[in-house]
Amino acid sequence: MNCAESRDYFIACAEGLLQEDQARQCRAHLETCASCREEYEAISRLQQRLIARGQAAAGVRMVESVMSRIRQEQFKPERETIMSRLMKHGWGFGLSAAAGAAAIVSIILWTMPNAQAAAEAVMTQGAQAVARLTSIHLRGQLRTEPNDNFSGINPDADFCTIELWKQFAPDIKDLKWRVEKPGRVVVMDGKTTVMLIKPAKMGVKVEQPTASAFDTEWLQRIANLSNTISNEVKNARAKGWKVSMAEETGADGKAKSVVTILAKSGVPDNEWGKNWFYDSADTRRVYRFDAQSKLLESVRIYLVRPAGEVQIFDLSQIDFNQAIDAAEWTLDVPADVNWAGLPDKLPILPDNDKYVSMTAEQAARAFFEACARKDWNEAGKFMSPITEDMKTGLGGVEIVSLGESFASKTYGGRFVPYEIKLSREMIVRMANTNAAHRYVIMGVCDSNLESREELHWTNGPAVLPDNDAYARLSPAEAMKAYAAAFARFNWDEMKKFAPDYDVEHDKAQCAEIEKSGQDAHKLLPQIEVGEAFWSAEQSGWFVKCRLVQDRAWNLAIRNDNAARRWQVDGGIGW
Amino acid sequence: MDVSDKDHVERCRDGHPEDFGLLVDRYQKPLFSFLASRVGNYPQAEEAAQESFVRAFLSLKKLRKPESFYSWLLGIAARVAQEQFRSEIHRRQGREAAETMMSSAAAERADYPLEEVIALLPENHRQVILLRYYEGLSCQEVATRLAQPLGTVTKTLSRAYALLRQELGARERAEETVNRTEPS
Repeated sequence: MNCAESRDYFIACAEGLLQEDQARQCRAHLETCASCREEYEAISRLQQRLIARGQAAAGVRMVESVMSRIRQEQFKPERETIMSRLMKHGWGFGLSAAAGAAAIVSIILWTMPNAQAAAEAVMTQGAQAVARLTSIHLRGQLRTEPNDNFSGINPDADFCTIELWKQFAPDIKDLKWRVEKPGRVVVMDGKTTVMLIKPAKMGVKVEQPTASAFDTEWLQRIANLSNTISNEVKNARAKGWKVSMAEETGADGKAKSVVTILAKSGVPDNEWGKNWFYDSADTRRVYRFDAQSKLLESVRIYLVRPAGEVQIFDLSQIDFNQAIDAAEWTLDVPADVNWAGLPDKLPILPDNDKYVSMTAEQAARAFFEACARKDWNEAGKFMSPITEDMKTGLGGVEIVSLGESFASKTYGGRFVPYEIKLSREMIVRMANTNAAHRYVIMGVCDSNLESREELHWTNGPAVLPDNDAYARLSPAEAMKAYAAAFARFNWDEMKKFAPDYDVEHDKAQCAEIEKSGQDAHKLLPQIEVGEAFWSAEQSGWFVKCRLVQDRAWNLAIRNDNAARRWQVDGGIGW
Repeated sequence: MDVSDKDHVERCRDGHPEDFGLLVDRYQKPLFSFLASRVGNYPQAEEAAQESFVRAFLSLKKLRKPESFYSWLLGIAARVAQEQFRSEIHRRQGREAAETMMSSAAAERADYPLEEVIALLPENHRQVILLRYYEGLSCQEVATRLAQPLGTVTKTLSRAYALLRQELGARERAEETVNRTEPS
């Protein structure tokens, strides 16, 4: 046994899992190799530490006592006294009770042209009230895809949380800010501005402080209250947007000033990309101020479209001048992140002219063809970085057709319509070590049989009325039956091979696609099932599969960079 | 794999507080060990662990990254331990008592970062470590519990060891540097 083989066995050896002859060989190697012996001893020491820590806690049982304390806390009567309640609500009990939780009583409504002046006065007072802010924290809900661009909106998506923290300073080097949504985050720590797109493990770094970056500007405008609240009204005047102003009584019984602005983006209704981003959308923006303190309390933004209005943004938490934890100015960047280059630093290639002379269509074709050949060096000339996920998804792509490129007011580059066929390999782990004794899906692995996704069977597969017929299926036959059921969207049949939650996820995805008016059969992949094999090392059955998917969309591509080469900027889904 | 921390946290927030019991079950032992090495005696460690769980439950809405529940819980526990330490000094009302406590706590703290380092592991690695050493299951029992082949469990364990050693090594080196640069 050599060093590499021996080290592969160290954990199994320390855990006493090796066969006698393997253990003997391992021990024999350790006797002769000082370096491996040192390594093995380090592992053993850590193992002993772990065992000792676990043993110290062996008798600990606190679930019941903790849950009992939690129940007591939940039902603890309010500690407020009658007197403190009276002090808080003042004499306004009757009013707040009448207003209720949701009722808001409008008492004055201005109309044009007086609205302009009244709204401007309220906005200006609002700006003055926060003129000396030291920090702000905004937490709102935006209808958008969790990983999408910060200004991306999607009226059909669920709300997801978006937050901004900002520490103001007269000098930009002392300014700090952070904007975060579930799938991406930007941190400006006073020296650099770094964005991380979490699922893609992709990062972008600007080596300087910025006041705004990476499409966070619309949110920064709300955060920079002192100079932008009034700008909103000035913009309205310059562009002829409708402004209305109302005074209302809020749910807390206090007077509120509400400014509503109907903003037009100037992008025609039939333009590609209209309503995809905050600034390309027509919106109704509702700013609510406390009439006494003049402080902004909430912002609601509605997308205005011919089909009707839909709320896309709800900002109800605004914290002024609260200490911000220094941890907000740090960003944990994974070691294996792929760093993207910046357009102003795109390198000039030795044969740069060849790429500069391409049309947008030629560049799109060259990019897809490089992906088809898995020539990632060539594909990287059109897009950087190309992550492992992209390689898996786009490798071997087949071009069905490419159309003529077009421009849009929503975007600085061009769009190239494309239709492609994507396919990728997938290895599915199957097992029948369950009460129903039939093969079901346990997880998905990569080509090295490393687990990529595990399925959770909470109570194991149920025994079916016709279980015997299913129990006779081989791993490959069971996977084929699942694939056939998926092709027909037969959710009940799929649940015989995969856990309910997983099938429900597919079902919801399918419903989402159909809700948007598209054909789910075309958009969702087909599963082609190949051969099954047994892995002795993993003690399990695996089935080779291929996912095949058609995709038709517009590739966003632009050449306004230092090298003047066309760069793929979006529209491929990674 | 078992249901993730994130799923449990989201279920609690969605009106299923009973799911918090599953998180207590998952982390009661490592949390206890972590606190035992900080406060130096078992009854106080158990009290601090219960208090930490209750506080975590009550501020669950503030947890920004549900997948980081365990690291966040350790942060709460560290504050609870510190408060307990201060109130004990106050109770004993003596500088001498404080010095005695600090030196005994420091002696007990020889390997306290272990649970903190375990918290840094990816969730599937952490789960295998906790089941194997804190729940005392054998590797085969861990495999059965997680419905994974034994080979996957040992591979995960092997990777977890490598990550733990790497992180512990970095911490030890950092501590040595600090000790070297501290004024004597």
